Amino acid sequence: MVANQESSAAAEEPVAPAAGTAAMDPMRLASRWRSPAEWEAAAAEMDAEPAPSELNTTNSSGLFAVVSTDRMSVRYLGVNQHGHDVGVVQANRPAPTHRPVYYFEMAVKNAGHKGQTSIGFTTENFKMRRQPGWESNSCGYHGDDGYLYRGPGKNEPFGPKFTSGDTIGAGINYFLQEFFFTKNGSLVGSVQKEIKGPLYPTIAVHSQDEEVTVNFGNEPFCFDIEGYIFEEKMKQQSVSDKLFLQPDISHWIVRSYLLHYGYQDTLNSFDMASETDPPSNHQNGYGEPPEMYGLSHRKSLRQLIMSGDIDSTFKRLGEWYPQVIKAGQLEDAVKYARSNLAKFLTHKAFDGLLKESVALLAYEKPAESSIGYLLEPPQREFVADAVNAAVLTTNPNLKDPESCLYSCLEKLLRQLTIQVFLIKVFKLHLHLSSELRDETLCRSLRKGVHLGVDRVYRDSMRHVQQTQLILKFRRILFSLYKVNTKLRVTG
Amino acid sequence: MFLSRIVLRDLDSIDSPVSMASSKKLVTRDEWERKLRDVKIRKEDMNRLVMNFLVTEGFVDAADKFRIESGTQPDIDLATITDRMEVKRAVQSGNVQEAIEKINDLNPTILDTNPQLYFHLQQQKLIELIRAGKINEALEFAQEELAPRGEENQAFLEEIEKTVTLLVFEDIKNCPYGELLDVSQRLKTASEVNAAILTSQSHEKDPKLPSLLKMLIWTQNQLDEKAAYPRINNFSTATLEDPAI
Repeated sequence: MVANQESSAAAEEPVAPAAGTAAMDPMRLASRWRSPAEWEAAAAEMDAEPAPSELNTTNSSGLFAVVSTDRMSVRYLGVNQHGHDVGVVQANRPAPTHRPVYYFEMAVKNAGHKGQTSIGFTTENFKMRRQPGWESNSCGYHGDDGYLYRGPGKNEPFGPKFTSGDTIGAGINYFLQEFFFTKNGSLVGSVQKEIKGPLYPTIAVHSQDEEVTVNFGNEPFCFDIEGYIFEEKMKQQSVSDKLFLQPDISHWIVRSYLLHYGYQDTLNSFDMASETDPPSNHQNGYGEPPEMYGLSHRKSLRQLIMSGDIDSTFKRLGEWYPQVIKAGQLEDAVKYARSNLAKFLTHKAFDGLLKESVALLAYEKPAESSIGYLLEPPQREFVADAVNAAVLTTNPNLKDPESCLYSCLEKLLRQLTIQVFLIKVFKLHLHLSSELRDETLCRSLRKGVHLGVDRVYRDSMRHVQQTQLILKFRRILFSLYKVNTKLRVTG
Repeated sequence: MFLSRIVLRDLDSIDSPVSMASSKKLVTRDEWERKLRDVKIRKEDMNRLVMNFLVTEGFVDAADKFRIESGTQPDIDLATITDRMEVKRAVQSGNVQEAIEKINDLNPTILDTNPQLYFHLQQQKLIELIRAGKINEALEFAQEELAPRGEENQAFLEEIEKTVTLLVFEDIKNCPYGELLDVSQRLKTASEVNAAILTSQSHEKDPKLPSLLKMLIWTQNQLDEKAAYPRINNFSTATLEDPAI
């Protein structure tokens, strides 16, 4: 039934382009076609966020503590007299923020005379003779009393005390905007993170012979941080899974996507299956998507472009939608391409992809184009999408020129992207579903290799299933590990 | 959309509203539309999202056509969709025994590793026998196949008791557990079967698109507390509403 629609659409005499059509610029679709190298560079930049790797030796209070030559341990020097004799050391870099959770650990080698070691986070200008948590803009878990300190006068019982042989961890949960602390692999507790700005992992020693060693992740952690992150993700996921969604809205969105891009064969199969399948009496109450217009023409044009037959494409386009070529939007794209072509050619970041596509449009007689046959499938798809958008603008009933460029699905994804970003700005609890941070997919992208999607997918799915199992095994392993550690300490 | 976090970098120009914690920040339509233009969504990712939906929901012909038309590779062997849909249809039309056999043909470990699924299929079989009025057969089946499973598991026992209640009533439509005879009970079992087969094929049991849409709702709810901005209330048109101040 879908196939018969466009004959009537084509029969309609082309009307003067709607007032809004000039606003439609097919070149805006170009933003999709960053080259793999660009995506890789962007991904690498995000990934390259430096993490703490060692202790900072230059700003530590050298009077009271000495940092080992490998910059991973601190020992208290001499005998402490009063409260300002703290030996505080920060990490060389602040905790990275582009991840769900940051975490580090310290092992108390020697609790010294008073056992006043502590662990926490401080801001850059923290006073280097004070325990983390004594000053504002800092937070610390202290060994001698097991209290949590969050600024002058703000301290409360938090967890167990800790001493020689204990491994203490401190982390930031960016999902929940919380600090959390661990002792010997068990979660002690968490507290709302009220401090803004870059936060440095910080440790302190405060009495004779006290000595601690930090672990910024080069050694395996005592605490099962992977399991912790996984459980947090699951919690966040289950919150949004409970939300109510209009019935069959996904079905509707997929259908309008197929319509928008002129994937007519898929659409026909989709509609046929939806009719015969009893549970999917879909798209009730949503009406017909607006992109019915010129469907099978758009399908044919796409097929021609994708097969590389640019000659026929322009011929057909001239027959069916002369206004697109004569007074229409592609000409604007062509002019734009002409005047900017030189710039594109010298603009390295633009990569070969776009400039060739643009060059193609720039030929008035595509048959004479020497570049036409050079188009690779993704480049063809760009041209196909641009032509598709141009044809959609000739729809006399067009209300919103934006809808020529973007399908309903794309509009929703754009909205989602902005919203997720804003939430981050507002420092709200950031919900990250596996869709947004599918690490496996990102990784393959980073390599610049577009591996068989199915392989990547299957790997990541298997990962999800296995993680549940692994989590169980891990717990067992960790309890064994703890027993072993205790045996070693006592034996 | 997998790349949103990369793209976010490009948007850093939105003012940080930290200082405006007390009042709601207003983001005008113009500002919002400008930001929207800067977002880069890859066509390839959208195609994959659509393919994932077609495959997971079992639109095998459409998935195959989409592979040809868009050049997107499906994330699962399309032949397995056909098998999966056959099993699903068998349950939906009440042929539970056929469904069980087909599942075992597909992968015998599915039922072995999902005692709950196996139980629900047997329960469905009992329901179908009762529906067909085969009372003796139903009683025999309940005693021999289902009762032993109820001994292993309290939850199963309760389910069996509910189902057997259907036998007691002359007019089963008015039986307290009459809803077991609804089409919705078949659909429930069918969707459980569908999910189990997908999981056995190392595939997610739900399509990604609905969870992204839920995330859109979730983020809107979260943002509403802090800002007035153009929302999308109607997902089927995706039109921006004017921000309510």
